[in-house]
Formats: sequence, C-alpha cells, structure tokens
Amino acid sequence: MERKSFIKSGIAALGVAFIAPLANSCKKDADTTTTTSTSSSSSSSSSGSSSGSGSCSVTSSETAGPYPTITPSSYVRSNIVDGQTGVALTIKITICNTNNSCAALSGALVDIWHCTAVGYYSEYTDTPGGGYASVDYTSSHFLRGRQTTDANGLVTFTSIFPGWYSPRAPHIHAHIYSSSGTSLLITQIAFPTDICDTIYTTVSPYSTRGKQDTANTADMVFSDSLTNELSTVTGSVSAGYVLTHTIYVAA
Amino acid sequence: MEKATIRLLYRKIITAASQEPWEKLVLADTYREFLMQVQTINPDKKYFTFGELIHHVPGAEKLHFLVSASVIGYLKQLNGKVPDIINNAGKKFLPFKGYQFEIINSDIRNISKHQIGINFISEPLTWYDTIDNQLLVSVNAGVQDEYGEILTEMFSMQPYLSIYSLKKKNADDTTI
Repeated sequence: MERKSFIKSGIAALGVAFIAPLANSCKKDADTTTTTSTSSSSSSSSSGSSSGSGSCSVTSSETAGPYPTITPSSYVRSNIVDGQTGVALTIKITICNTNNSCAALSGALVDIWHCTAVGYYSEYTDTPGGGYASVDYTSSHFLRGRQTTDANGLVTFTSIFPGWYSPRAPHIHAHIYSSSGTSLLITQIAFPTDICDTIYTTVSPYSTRGKQDTANTADMVFSDSLTNELSTVTGSVSAGYVLTHTIYVAA
Repeated sequence: MEKATIRLLYRKIITAASQEPWEKLVLADTYREFLMQVQTINPDKKYFTFGELIHHVPGAEKLHFLVSASVIGYLKQLNGKVPDIINNAGKKFLPFKGYQFEIINSDIRNISKHQIGINFISEPLTWYDTIDNQLLVSVNAGVQDEYGEILTEMFSMQPYLSIYSLKKKNADDTTI
C-alpha cells in the first residue's frame, strides 16, 4: 500500500512539474530536477521489488582454508630476473659497519633495483599509462630484490647486466636497512665503463641502444663520489659477469 | 548468442576493521613495507600521513607500486580466484591475473590509519544474458565440452564490483 501511494504522489508531482515551468520559467531547472529524481527513485524501487531478490546475493559457503600464511614480500628472493633477457650478472654486495671498525654487518636488509637491458624499471611497465596492470602479477616486480646479509655481511643476487637510460650512467640502486627495517643508507652502484661498452655494443638487445650517453665522471650522482661507488666487475659475455662491491653504513 | 566479452573489476578495501585472517595479514605486511619504503622519500619523518606525502613530496605516488610487492605472496594464496565474489551457488569462480594495488590512507605513527585497496581485474568472461538480477557468463571463452555444452556461471553485480572493459564479438555492433 505504501509503495502504491508513493508512486501515486510521484506521478502527481510529475504533473505539477509539467505545469510549473509554464507558470514560472525562472525555476524551471530546479523544479524539473527535483521531480525527475523523485520519479526515478519510485520506478527503481518498483523494479527492485518485482525481481524479488533486490541487490542481495548468496553468502559464500565453501570449505574453509587453505589458511592464509604469513608470506614475505615478493622482493625477498635471490634471483630477480623474472624472465628479463640480458647478460647474466651475479651481484655480491658486502655491508660493513663504520660504527664497528668497519666489520661486516650481519642481519641487515639490502634492497636493490635496476633497469632492464633497454632501460626500463618494472615500476613503469607494471601500470603503463597509470591504468590497471594487465601483466601477470607473479612477475610484476622484476629486477628488484631483498636479501639479508649473512655472517660475512654478504648478500648475493642473480640478475642481468642493467642497460642505461638518459641522462644517467648505468647503475644499481641499493637501500640498506637495519634488521628491524630502519633505513641506514640509500646509495647507488656504478659500473666500469669498459665492460659496459663491450656489452652495449655487441650483445642484443643492449646493442639496439649502443653505448651509454653519460659517463660515470659526468653523471649527476657519481661524478663527485665515484671512488666509493664504483664496483668491480669480472667475467665475460658468454660466462656472465660477477659484480662485487662493499657498502659502508653507520649502524 | 553472446552479448560481449567483458572483464570485471573488483576493488577490495582492507582496513584496520577488516576481520578475515587473510585481510589482517595483508594489512600488517603492507603497513610494514610502507614503513620501509616511505623512508626513501621521507627520511627525516617530516610528514606523517600518506595524504601529506602525496601532497608535498614529488614521486610519492611510487609508493603504490613499491608497497605492492608485499601483497604478491598473498595474491598467490588466492589460487587465481577473485576473493569475495561468488556465483549463485555460493562459490568463488572469477579468475584473475591482473591487479592494481593502491594505498588509500596511511600514517607512519599508527597502523589503524592504514587502508589499502586491491583492484582485481578478471580474465575475460563471455556474457550471454542477464536473467533476473544475475549475469550469465562463461569463464572459458565459451568453449563447448564433450557433450556440446558451454558451462556457465551466474552471479550478481554488487558494491565495488564493476565491468572494467567490454569487447564486442563484432566490432560494428554497438548494441548490448
């Protein structure tokens, strides 16, 4: 009964609205808007009732579990390649503590991240154009990793030799945290130019871009601090390269 | 026969009020990762809230992506099915691979202000009809089984569930 009378009054209001603009054209917009919303709400309520179920749906009834388990961040892995192509690179970083006679710092968290062979970070391919990611989520954080230093202060990552992008010299980013996650140092690691030149001119897909456009000595980050940010790299294109580097933090 | 191929978007919001064990783990671990990553752009703790960071610090939008790594392991636990969205038989059925993670609010002083959203993008569904308030779809591109049948699912649209994309079988056909 109540719904019927509501619809009736809605229709009556519609009639008033139809006449009202003629009586007072200045109020036409406001009157029409008000009445339209009244009439549409009455019609939607009537169609909702006729369907008999409204907007509710069946409650889930499924076997419980598998029970969720605490899962570390997907950064936590040694191999960070995730299907990216390039020359194999093993990254060995040792963390030393300047507050403890430069002794090795164990238990520190080391985050690293670097670009692909053609100069892209996973951050940008994850959501191209800022839209929703259509990539498979299991490989969306390629070339980013986190390891905990061992008793010798060492972490090891398996990756690919990074490419370069303008206007930067090739580099790996590193963020060192205490075991509790407090930031100790954010830094970058530079590469010997002779090895970069070899890879960037002879190996696909690096060779599509050629040599880096910015020298270490001209780089905005490395130019004033290259001596303690330049890594040692050994190896060959066929066998892969090994990067070793020591980072000093005050912990 | 089919109207179109559609992909659904489900935005799952997790806050300190969320009760499910999975949700609580996601909340705690995304907050932990947020606290680690935020130090890159807020080293002297000048700002407290995510809103302040977005407003004042260039590049703070990166935090959405950087923190998202902490949910990947939890997404894998869902076995490829969008959570919460059930068919009319009461079972989860909606396959997904794509997602976007977002930090809605947070505060480095207090996890109770931490709110995140996970946007699940479903795999393509073939939409055949709408019966009463339910969509009739197939999740396997309408492939017939050995009996010549197309297995289907029925489900209701609901809050935070939307149609993300639509692709017509015939590009010239604009009717739905």
